[in-house]
Amino acid sequence: METLQSVMIPLMLTLKIASISTVFVTILGIFIAYMLAKREFTGKWLAEVLVTLPLVLPPTVTGYILVLVLGKNGIFGSIFTKITGSGILFTWQAAVIAAFVVSLPMMIKTATSAIGAVDRNVEEAACVLGRSEFETALYITLPLAKKGIVAGCVLSFARAVGEFGATLMVAGNIQGRTSTMPLSIYGAYQTGNDELANLLVLILVVISFITIAATGKLGER
Amino acid sequence: MTVEVDIEKEFYRRKHIKKKGEKPSFSMHCSFDADSDFVVLFGCSGSGKTTALRCIAGLEKPDEGTIKINNTLYFDSKKKVNLTPQKRKIGYMFQENALFPHMNVRQNIEFGLKGMYSTEKKEKVSAMLGLVEIEELEFAYPNELSGGQKQKVALARALAPNPEVLLLDEPFSALDTVVRLKLRKELRMIQKKLGIPVIFITHDPVEAFTMADRMVVFDNGRVQQRGSPEEVFYHPKDRYVAELVGFSNLFDDAVVEGHGQGAECTFLWSLGTEITAPYIERMAGDRVSWGIRPENIELVDKRYIHTIQKEGRKNLFYGVIMNVVNKGTSRIMSLILKESDDVLKVEVANHAFGSLKLETGDECMVRLRTSDMIVF
Repeated sequence: METLQSVMIPLMLTLKIASISTVFVTILGIFIAYMLAKREFTGKWLAEVLVTLPLVLPPTVTGYILVLVLGKNGIFGSIFTKITGSGILFTWQAAVIAAFVVSLPMMIKTATSAIGAVDRNVEEAACVLGRSEFETALYITLPLAKKGIVAGCVLSFARAVGEFGATLMVAGNIQGRTSTMPLSIYGAYQTGNDELANLLVLILVVISFITIAATGKLGER
Repeated sequence: MTVEVDIEKEFYRRKHIKKKGEKPSFSMHCSFDADSDFVVLFGCSGSGKTTALRCIAGLEKPDEGTIKINNTLYFDSKKKVNLTPQKRKIGYMFQENALFPHMNVRQNIEFGLKGMYSTEKKEKVSAMLGLVEIEELEFAYPNELSGGQKQKVALARALAPNPEVLLLDEPFSALDTVVRLKLRKELRMIQKKLGIPVIFITHDPVEAFTMADRMVVFDNGRVQQRGSPEEVFYHPKDRYVAELVGFSNLFDDAVVEGHGQGAECTFLWSLGTEITAPYIERMAGDRVSWGIRPENIELVDKRYIHTIQKEGRKNLFYGVIMNVVNKGTSRIMSLILKESDDVLKVEVANHAFGSLKLETGDECMVRLRTSDMIVF
C-alpha cells in the first residue's frame, strides 16, 4: 500500500505538472512560432536566441534565474505574493513554470520550422480568396503545419515529464507536494530504496516510450 | 470591365533595404490596360511578369504608380491607396495550383465564398464544377487529382467569388501537351462566357499567340512591345522581341544602300551581298538590323536553280549544309553562306526534306522573300 502511494503520488503530480505546462506551451508556443516564421520585426534575432536559450543552458542555470524571478523580491514572485499572500517558490505551480520554461523551446523550434515550411503560395491563395491573415493561419497554415505542431507538443510533454534540475531549484523535493517522478527516483536512489527506484524508472521509461511512439503514429495521419 | 496598370518597383540585393546610392539589382516598370479581353504577358523567366501580376493582386507593393480596376483604385502611390489582397476582387491562379491539400475539391472552392448561405454556396460550387466540367470530382482530395484536374479546380476556385479580373501565372506550364492544349481552349471559352478581363503569363510563344487578344512583351522589367499577337509575331519592334517570337536569323551589321522606287523596298548590304528588304525610313549609310524566321526561308529545288537565276530573282544565297537537326515534324538546317561565312538557319518540313534528298555537306540554294523579312 505504501509503495503504491509512493508511486501514484509522484506519478499523478508529474502528469498534472506536465499536462498544465504543455497546455500553456502549446498556446504560447504556436503564437511565438507563427510570429518567428511569418513576421519580420526588429529584434527578431534576439527573440530567437532568448527562446532557444533554455535548450542549451544547464537546468541549474535556468533554475537559478527562475529563483531570482519567482522569489519574494523577484518581478513575478512579488506580484504573486501580493495577490495570494504566500510565495510561489516550493509549490507545484513553481514546478509548472520550470517545466514550461524548459520545454517551450522544443515546441517553438519544431513548430517554427513546420509553419515556415507551409507553401507560401497556398497561404497567398487564401488571402486572394478574401480571407484575413487570422483566418488563413487558422484554416490553412496551422492545419498544414499540424504534424510539426503535434510533434512539438509531444516533445514538450516528454521534456516536462523528465524535468529535474530547474524543478529541484524552484520547487524543491517536498514529498507529496513537489516531488515529481524524476525527483522521487533521485530520492529513492539516495535513500537506498532500490525497489521503488526500479519501479519509478520503469514507469517513466514506459510513459516516454508511449509518448514518442504516439507522435510517430499521429505523424502518419 | 477595365484594367489599367502603370507601376514601378525596384529590388535591391538585400531584400527591400535600400542603401544610400545603391543601384537596384532589378527594376520593373510596366504599364498596360485590359478591357474584357485576353491579355498575355509574354517574356522569358525573370523578366518581371510575375512581379507585375503579384502587384495587381496586392501580394506585392509597387513603389510607384497606379492600379485601377473598373474605376476602383486598387493602388495609387500618390493618393496612398493600397487595398489589401482580401479587398481586391481578383481571381489568381498560381503556377503550381496552390490548392489546399487538406481540403477536398468542394471545400477548396467554398473557401472563397465567405458569408454566403449554405444553399447559395452549394449552388455556386455546382455551377463552378459544371463550368470546368469536373462534377464527378466534388469530394476528391488534391492528391487524388491529375495535374490537369488540379488546375481545373484551381480555376474553379479562383472564379467562384465572381472576380472582376482573372490573373493566371503560367498555369499550364507543368502540364503535358495534350492536356495543355485542351485547357487552353477551355480557358478561352470560359473567358468569352464570363466576359471578364484575363491577364495570362506565359513564356511559350505558341501559347501566347493562340490565346492572346493582346500581348504585352516583357524584357528585363520593361514592356518592350504591346499589340495584337499578329503585330508582335510578324512585326516585332526590336531585336529582343524578334528573337523571342522566333526570328532566329538576326543580323546586325547591315548598311542601308538606298531605297527602291516609291519607297516599296530598301536595299541593304549584308551577308556579303545586296539584299532587298522591306522599306525602312533610314538614310543611306545607316546601320540597321534585319531578320527572318527559319521557316520562312525557301529552299530552292536543285532542278530549278538555273531557271530562277536566269529570271534574275533577288535575295538568292548559296550555302553548304553544316548540320541538320530533326525536330520531329521538321528539320532545322544550318547553312554556311558562300559569300560571307554567316550561318543561316532554315526550317524544312520533313517530307520536303526527304524529297530534296539533301545531306550534310551538300550545297543548296535558298531564297529570302522580302515580305517575310523584318528590318529595324
